[in-house]
Amino acid sequence: MVRFSRALLKEARNGINKTLSEILVCPLSKQPLRYCEETNSLVSDAIGVSYPIKDGIPCLVPRDGKIIETDEDIKPDGASDSSAKN
Amino acid sequence: MKGLSLCRKSSLVFLRRAYAFVPSSSFCTDNNSSNDGLQNSRVKIFDRHLKRKQRDRAAWLMRPNDSFVDAVADNLLDRLEDCKRTFPTALFMGGSLEAVKRLLCGRGSIEKLIMMDMSYDMIKLCEDAKEDANKNIETSFIVGDEEFLPIKESSLDLVISCLGLHWTNDLPGAMIQCRLALKPDGLFLGAILGGETLKELRIACTVAQMEREGGISPRVSPLAQVRDAGNLLTRAGLALPGVDVDEYVVRYRSALELIEHLRAMGETNALLQRNTILKRETALATAAIYDSMFAAEDGTIPATFQVIYMTGWREHPSQQKAKRRGSATISFKDIQEQFGSGS
Repeated sequence: MVRFSRALLKEARNGINKTLSEILVCPLSKQPLRYCEETNSLVSDAIGVSYPIKDGIPCLVPRDGKIIETDEDIKPDGASDSSAKN
Repeated sequence: MKGLSLCRKSSLVFLRRAYAFVPSSSFCTDNNSSNDGLQNSRVKIFDRHLKRKQRDRAAWLMRPNDSFVDAVADNLLDRLEDCKRTFPTALFMGGSLEAVKRLLCGRGSIEKLIMMDMSYDMIKLCEDAKEDANKNIETSFIVGDEEFLPIKESSLDLVISCLGLHWTNDLPGAMIQCRLALKPDGLFLGAILGGETLKELRIACTVAQMEREGGISPRVSPLAQVRDAGNLLTRAGLALPGVDVDEYVVRYRSALELIEHLRAMGETNALLQRNTILKRETALATAAIYDSMFAAEDGTIPATFQVIYMTGWREHPSQQKAKRRGSATISFKDIQEQFGSGS
């Protein structure tokens, strides 16, 4: 029971729902976003910026975005296929 | 030759720029307007970061049932009932989106609703206020800026912005982004505050500042005029534009109460070139002048809010259109002869 509710809570906290993943794009480049599970953020590969998801609410104000500095954070294209639907 | 290659180079740069702002745009007006947007985005009138903080604060100060905000939201939503079509996917953004959601009552038969605001606290408030009336609507929440709309092209049926867009630095640009986010035949509904808004406060502030400080600084932000609203819609490329104006007079017990109300709505001064110091005596003088100049017999003071309602559709072949110039087959002379002879 506890495990179940914890799993539910985790699901609620992380990621975004299907509608949003289909509709959201990067506010600056208007290119598709990729969900990064590790940092729980939405990554715009086109301009190398990651937008945080706070409590299940993606924050897509350009000011909130963080520029990804190292290349290691950007996963190869193969990994992004499963998370990015657009 | 050199000049030619240079010219080609610069045109390429221009194209790329336009592309970056409005991807995969096929209409020539888009290129023009995005170029305009580029120029406009350099002009910063409002401090968007401050506005965000003010909206954070407004989320906590907000009154449960603000009659002015509710009247505007209800008026805007009323337009949905005039449309025959339904709007499965909708975006509510900025301004009094909480009131819009509360008063929706199943209008427009929305199935998927996205709510967007630049303030996290405001969005959180909307998320926490879950009413039973909208239970069958799948609602998602995002924090986003109207000036940088994070919505994919052609993905929405309806965009409603209630009392939010007058704080954008680049209003045409924001509306162009709304149009692009709409599906063909999608509806844009917007309400913004017009130039007549708070004219009493404007006058009182000016007089008080002249009197106490010997000069004036802007306290009330510049707002769009009614005649601009139609141009805005056509410039944003929205078809079948419609503009109408409503004036609301709200009565307060004192000028200080008016300021409280503005604060609760998140409509306080956010000009970049604002004077950050407001002396106590100037503030009190403003209240006194407001009272002496505009107070009604019963001691209340009126404040005018002019709201401009804008309606526009994304173009679609099914919409009615004016015929091409010179395509008429009957002369007006013939019509006059036909009908004018009888009288």
